[in-house]
Amino acid sequence: MNFDIVVVGGGPAGMAAAYSASEKGSKVLIVEREAKLGGILNQCIHNGFGLHYLGEELTGPEYADVWQKKLLKTKAKVLLSSVVTKIERLGDRNVVVHIKNSEGVSKIKTKAVVFSMGCREKPGSAINLCGTRPAGVFAAGEAQKLVNVHGKLVGKKVVILGSGDIGLIMARRMTCEGAKVVGVYEIMPKCGGLARNVAQCLNDFNIPLFLSTSIVKIVGDKRVSGVVVAPVNPDFSFDLTKQKLVKCDTVLLSVGLLPEIDVLNEFNLERSNVTNSVVVNQFYQTKIPEFFVCGNVLHVNDLVDNVTVESLEAGVCAANFAKTGKTTKKPIEVKLDKNIRYTSMKYVYKNTGSVTLCFRVSDEFKNAKIVAKSGEEIVASVFKPVVRAGQIEKIVVDTSKLKNDLNLCLEVA
Amino acid sequence: MKTFDVLIVGGGIIGTNLFSLLARNGVKVALLEKEDDICGLVSRANSGVIHAGYDPRPNTLMAKFNVEGTKMYPQMCKRLGVDFVSCGSLVVAKKEDKKKLEELLNRGKQNKVPDLEILGKKDLQKLEKNLADNIEFGLFAKTAGIVSPYEICVALAEEGVLNGGKVFLNFEVKLIEKQENGKFVLSNGKEEIAAKFVVNCAGQHAAKINDLAGAKHFKMNFVKGEYILLDKAEKGFVNRPVFPLPTEKGKGILANITTHGNILLGPTAFPCKLGDTSVTLEGINKIKQDVLASVKQPNFRKTIKLFAGVRVKSGSDFNISRDEKQKNFYYAVGVCSPGLSAAPAIAQHFLHLLKEDGLKTKKIIVKKRKPYTNTEKLSEKELDKLIKKNPNYGKVVCRCENISQGEILEALNSPLPAKNIDAIKRRLRPTMGRCQGSFCRPKLVKILSDFYKTKEEDVTLNGKGSEIVVGNIKGGIQ
Ligand SMILES: Cc1cc2nc3c(=O)[nH]c(=O)nc-3n(C[C@H](O)[C@H](O)[C@H](O)COP(=O)(O)OP(=O)(O)OC[C@H]3O[C@@H](n4cnc5c(N)ncnc54)[C@H](O)[C@@H]3O)c2cc1C
Ligand SMILES: Cc1cc2nc3c(=O)[nH]c(=O)nc-3n(C[C@H](O)[C@H](O)[C@H](O)COP(=O)(O)OP(=O)(O)OC[C@H]3O[C@@H](n4cnc5c(N)ncnc54)[C@H](O)[C@@H]3O)c2cc1C
Repeated sequence: MNFDIVVVGGGPAGMAAAYSASEKGSKVLIVEREAKLGGILNQCIHNGFGLHYLGEELTGPEYADVWQKKLLKTKAKVLLSSVVTKIERLGDRNVVVHIKNSEGVSKIKTKAVVFSMGCREKPGSAINLCGTRPAGVFAAGEAQKLVNVHGKLVGKKVVILGSGDIGLIMARRMTCEGAKVVGVYEIMPKCGGLARNVAQCLNDFNIPLFLSTSIVKIVGDKRVSGVVVAPVNPDFSFDLTKQKLVKCDTVLLSVGLLPEIDVLNEFNLERSNVTNSVVVNQFYQTKIPEFFVCGNVLHVNDLVDNVTVESLEAGVCAANFAKTGKTTKKPIEVKLDKNIRYTSMKYVYKNTGSVTLCFRVSDEFKNAKIVAKSGEEIVASVFKPVVRAGQIEKIVVDTSKLKNDLNLCLEVA
Repeated sequence: MKTFDVLIVGGGIIGTNLFSLLARNGVKVALLEKEDDICGLVSRANSGVIHAGYDPRPNTLMAKFNVEGTKMYPQMCKRLGVDFVSCGSLVVAKKEDKKKLEELLNRGKQNKVPDLEILGKKDLQKLEKNLADNIEFGLFAKTAGIVSPYEICVALAEEGVLNGGKVFLNFEVKLIEKQENGKFVLSNGKEEIAAKFVVNCAGQHAAKINDLAGAKHFKMNFVKGEYILLDKAEKGFVNRPVFPLPTEKGKGILANITTHGNILLGPTAFPCKLGDTSVTLEGINKIKQDVLASVKQPNFRKTIKLFAGVRVKSGSDFNISRDEKQKNFYYAVGVCSPGLSAAPAIAQHFLHLLKEDGLKTKKIIVKKRKPYTNTEKLSEKELDKLIKKNPNYGKVVCRCENISQGEILEALNSPLPAKNIDAIKRRLRPTMGRCQGSFCRPKLVKILSDFYKTKEEDVTLNGKGSEIVVGNIKGGIQ
């Protein structure tokens, strides 16, 4: 079978990309490993999705449903319970996608591929979590799935490590299910999640948040019986003189996400040390022009609305490329000063209209002015009363103003 | 009362080797294991190296059984259908330490280890790209290899069961009595099992079992060995076990491979209490530092697992013998490294002793163990054919290691069925990949509860007390 575009992964990113590519007239196939579309949204039964893009607050499954309906109105084909196991690039717009499902192994020819496989959660070992290895230690998203999809309670007395949004949301969810959340421990001096989640998930339920504090070790034989916690020094070593045992039967880890990028490993594409993913240009395109990447697999988004907006664009770019095979030469690398950790796109081009650069800053700054410079000129700037490390910021750059470079800087007024 | 010819206490690498050997020799044998699966303690957390045998002092049991056992490994692994990676091993040294390598080489010769060779820098670089800059020489031991110790334990236990042996799980031997007729009765407090011969292979608890039987008393000490395991993406960092020069304390921190392509760094050596397999920050830091004596900086950002095993020591040699006081009682006490390598030879030795003491063996038609399907190793054509026959092989359960529902069901229907999540893991690897189970654990809970027709609340990680979920949520499922 032949397609113009195969989309790998049917979460919000994949659905949006498949939708926009299909609307552009491409013949699209979207392949999803699970039995339904929606990705992570299916287990996020809390609301707060779509506020920015749809203008209403939906739950995860509701938001997924909106996009599934939109997608099913297009001509895009959907293949569920199927895993993309391998990609082969044979030549210009000639790619073979290998798919495994309960009917067998099949190969599909396509002109371009959009990769939108989302993220996986970092395990505790990745952050040197020491101690024993009993039952009762879960990745927060795994616990979220057990609770919200399987309908199972994972524990009664809970400690949460990491103050990312998933951890905060699970703190509330576990409390609502009658579990006692004894505390959320965060190694950094600031909370990792959105301010609104701290207010709604912790403060409203009197759940304490301990900053600059972390778990020294897990205790327990068959099941977790507690954790030893201690404050950390500025160099992140533990202040063991102040360590103490906190009793609990469950530990949820919300310590970061890693892109689920394995199918691209064999291609030696340029990677980012910050996102752990591959890097793309302003068209969400990698060095291999047939490959487009969007959604959480490109960089972890705080809001699903961003994912949708970004992926709609990626779908259009992929559709254009599939049609024309045209690529743009002479990329300009977006250079960052030390206050900016990464941009979602590393390369831009002159005279290609306006481009929205998404980026994250390295710390919290008040009265921040973000400036895009090319040559000696300022080509764009935004002012923000406050920017935070967790949040995604945006700046729109008119590429017709570009000389031969582009520098993104954060200045504090 | 259930009665056997031989009872083996403990299903580690020693116990399972003996179990399979006796079963294949037509002996009515049972293996008693206190945990919910075999391969309880030490045998599942070690370096997995089948040592060539240059390390133990000459004329010790360690040296004898190590060299003999290692010889048996390639053939045994082939018979069982498990991997033996014949990669050899390296001990590396700085220029000024060449002498110490020569001492090792000589010791190896005394122990009758074949194919030992000291290599210079050029030859070393052909074997390993990431040796530390100041490494000039290396002792290359060609006969050394790598195995997955828990896969071998499982395979041996399965082979034993296929050939008529019985395994009793969750049977912690708490009482040993000798009847007037000379038979031993072993009890876990609820059930009693009898046999003429008893072999104690209880690892960390071996001294206790000897005491229960009124056999020779041993003092044991325990030394913890911690490890850092890196993602398969780091494959090729080293291609075989790379050791620093050994010291009195042990073989040191090595950079090693696993049969599945991960990189394994460790073990530390800290005295500890019985059963303490916790990982410490001190240990992790020690590994990170000490490994640099032999290799370049590993990519610790790719750490996916920290774990530890416990070495069991009693004196400077293995204590493997028939008991002098208690007739028809045999023990393996203080089987520290190279116990894994030595295990097949130790089993042969026990068989020999048992026969001397009157155990009757008989020729049976030995049934061959069928290895599990590994869909990852099949070509797409073969996989397609398999899935068309049984769609379960097309349903992904573990995304990191690419394991299908069909494979998981094999582990549940095997001669020694997996009863918990860790038991499935030791047979097939789910939860051992880079996400460490956050994706597949919920699926495994469901599969186990469906298969055994129990509640999901009853599914455990590794036996009673290690349940994963604790109840239903208030509102039920949406
Ligand atoms: C546990 C968790 C909780 C979150 N909670 C919130 C929240 O409360 N609010 C919020 O705004 N954002 C939340 N996020 C962020 C949210 O996930 C993203 O904004 C958005 O869902 C990312 O969309 P995506 O499509 O990139 O990834 P996903 O939603 O993860 O979708 C990726 C899809 O790709 C499929 N896939 C992967 N590999 C393959 C393959 N090889 N073959 C076929 N299919 C494949 C997966 O099955 C999955 O369905 C959460 C993220 C996680 C991980
Ligand atoms: C860190 C480390 C690294 C090592 N590296 C290597 C190596 O690379 N190469 C090598 O050759 N060797 C190595 N070894 C040594 C090797 O792992 C051991 O020698 C070997 O595993 C010992 O096996 P075992 O069967 O004696 O003990 P175990 O594996 O501990 O088995 C004993 C079994 O007995 C059961 N049991 C205990 N008490 C009772 C009871 N009362 N009733 C019923 N059952 C009971 C336990 O549950 C357990 O399953 C290493 C060891 C360590 C700790």
